[in-house]
Amino acid sequence: MIEVRGLKKAFGGIPVLRGVDLEVADREVVALIGRSGCGKTTLLRCINFLEEYSEGEILLDGEPLWYRHGPRGRRRVSEAEARRMRQRMGVVFQQYNLFPHMTALENVSLGPRYSQGLPRAEAEALGRRFLERVGLGDKLHAYPAQLSGGQQQRVAIARALAMRPRVLLLDEITSALDPELVGEVEDVIRSLLAEPIMMILVTHALRFAREIAHRIAYMSDGQIAEIGPPEQILESPRDPTLKEFLRRMR
Amino acid sequence: MDGGSLLLLVRAAGVSLLLAVAAVVSGTGLGIALAGLAFSGLAIVRAIYRAWVYVVRGMPVLVLALLVFYALPAMDLQTGPYVAGVLVLAIYVGALFAEVFRGGVLAIPRAQWESAKSLGLPPWAMLSKVVIPLVARYTLAPYVNVCVMTVKASSVLSIIGVWELTFAAREIIERTLAVFTVLGAAGALYFVLCFGIDRTGRWLERRLMARGFVGEPA
Repeated sequence: MIEVRGLKKAFGGIPVLRGVDLEVADREVVALIGRSGCGKTTLLRCINFLEEYSEGEILLDGEPLWYRHGPRGRRRVSEAEARRMRQRMGVVFQQYNLFPHMTALENVSLGPRYSQGLPRAEAEALGRRFLERVGLGDKLHAYPAQLSGGQQQRVAIARALAMRPRVLLLDEITSALDPELVGEVEDVIRSLLAEPIMMILVTHALRFAREIAHRIAYMSDGQIAEIGPPEQILESPRDPTLKEFLRRMR
Repeated sequence: MDGGSLLLLVRAAGVSLLLAVAAVVSGTGLGIALAGLAFSGLAIVRAIYRAWVYVVRGMPVLVLALLVFYALPAMDLQTGPYVAGVLVLAIYVGALFAEVFRGGVLAIPRAQWESAKSLGLPPWAMLSKVVIPLVARYTLAPYVNVCVMTVKASSVLSIIGVWELTFAAREIIERTLAVFTVLGAAGALYFVLCFGIDRTGRWLERRLMARGFVGEPA
């Protein structure tokens, strides 16, 4: 499980996260929703330490991540430790962020090969398996520029999965896609529900969040203002800003 | 111009090309090392980088050539004109290459760094699998540009006694007084060299594009 406790972060003096608490249980899917600028993407980036944070802690399966408390106060873990911790999380970005100079297969086997040190043949077998898993078994040797947005995003999901992470962090993964390509990416995520993996997704697609998330967390002004099962959050919201947010989204 | 003179010019052009190749190879190494300094965590190292690049780039190649030519014997180094010549060019283009490579690293989109980071790639894999291939592609055009400049800059070396195309042209002119014919022929030979380098660069660019890389920031 993932535990986030009292997370605080500011950008240049302006607080973005004002004490976030969140627990995600094994196999649980949590969707983060909220207005742009509410801190949901920042929270996701803090969990993977793409952003530093000034206060609070994040635990994965009980292990504190990213910072250590010693006699001289709080300090970042070493780069080597941070790399080891990151390998337990997969991230998929809004803009896919595939390496443009590598084929789909090279993109997907890169992590297993060089971060996890698997022999080339094994890393490639893993890459094939996960590309097939996302329905791209016929595009192994295609470069990102030769793939559609939806296909690129599926490669990105395969790349994250190939690290066999405990948790998948999905940052608005369908926002940059043409509407007709959204379905294929959502299908892949849907198919992951059977896997023993946690997912935290930042999304504006309320319909999809409702369908796959066990809980939805509504963030407002750097905090989780309301959290609960999808029906509760979307149908009987209590927080007035959430009511307003849902009214605008319809 | 007689056939013998023309043959001499062609041979001298070969020397110019060899000088440029030697300078590009060593200058590339120097440029990579220098560009590494530019990204050091220590402010003093970055300051040394900037100072070095400003000084070398701000100096005419001719002045640099004379400086090295007189400095080497003063340091008790008997190198002869060719080694000194390659050294001059390497120092000069090394600074230019360093700036090209630095620009290439800066051109890597933040998203690419974050992808590599989130995969937990160790530093050497990050460098060899992500940074260097991307920088190589981003910087190919300006890199070829500096290579072409190197060929032309090598003409300055005639002043420190390096026998190359410009030196040979001056020799033949002194003998034959056919100023325009000989300079015209030398200019044409420089053009052939530079054009060849340029075409090679374009060919490489097309090859990389054919491999799916279109040079757009991803």
